[in-house]
Amino acid sequence: MAFEYAGVDLPIREKTIASQRMSWNMIARPGRWWTGAERVEIARIGRAARDFEAARSELLPEAAVHAIQKLVVDNANLSREWYDEIVAAQGMTEDRYVELVAVVVHALSVDEFHRALGLELEPLPEPVSGEPSRQRPALAEQRDSWPPLVPKAGLRPDDQMLYGPLEWGANVISALSLIPENVRWLHDLSEGHYLSFAEMRRPDPLRAISRPQIELIAARVSALNECFY
Amino acid sequence: MLRESSKRSGSLDSLNLQGAVAADSDSGVPHGGLLTAFAEAAVRRTDALPGLRDRIVAELGPQELVDAAGVVANFQRMVRIADGCGIPLDEFTRDATDDVREDLGLHEYASAANTT
Repeated sequence: MAFEYAGVDLPIREKTIASQRMSWNMIARPGRWWTGAERVEIARIGRAARDFEAARSELLPEAAVHAIQKLVVDNANLSREWYDEIVAAQGMTEDRYVELVAVVVHALSVDEFHRALGLELEPLPEPVSGEPSRQRPALAEQRDSWPPLVPKAGLRPDDQMLYGPLEWGANVISALSLIPENVRWLHDLSEGHYLSFAEMRRPDPLRAISRPQIELIAARVSALNECFY
Repeated sequence: MLRESSKRSGSLDSLNLQGAVAADSDSGVPHGGLLTAFAEAAVRRTDALPGLRDRIVAELGPQELVDAAGVVANFQRMVRIADGCGIPLDEFTRDATDDVREDLGLHEYASAANTT
């Protein structure tokens, strides 16, 4: 089983392990617009993004490889014009882009956890065979973000509470909702690495470090990435 | 979130938000210098990282190190979602940070053009 942390002398939380296993399962399975093999390849390219030779793919469109590299190594300089070019490129659409972003950032987050602790990276999962469902949510709507978003009513009933009281959720929570399963994925890995959405509203103690310490680290990471949001 | 959590914990008076964006500023958060140095070394993948891990374990504890690594990992993801989707600031965030965004130099980030 993945994420055994055998021989690791650190107290890795069960929630962290569960959310990382969930992430690997998500990556391995066919999505709405990419096969399992393509999704694992997206994660592989993300992992290799800093190595020009290794970040080549016979499985993915050229624009997808470029988008992955940009998201990983030059995310501070993305623009609306760049996004429009990527989703209009051969083999790409808005839907495929959103699914790609989700795979890239969740795989990267799991890898960054390992790197920060000096641990070997977990081998990427074996792809699950099958075809993408190719289902675009009927309620998807263009709002202020680049990709269209899905409102609360378009999520699975069990996931609708993740938007809180808002019909469209906070912008970062609904950002990847064109693939509605991403909202649950976003939440569960947040809970494993940081805090659940419910915990965010609760007072300390939440983790071994205090909430101000947590938010200071979060702010520094955001500043280092020059992320305005 | 940093300011709000400091307010809730009763430590708002000692908080210096510059400490979140500048390595040479003291945030006023306990062990803040060590934790932000760790975050920076992890994001930039510098040689300082192993030593900073050891210091966090020695001065705070192993669970604190694991939790700090989780926060780094989470926000390496969140910033890319924000940047990759060009999301605007939420209204409540805009209202709550109106007075500090300029002071902290956030408008100078390239991504500010996408999110204002």
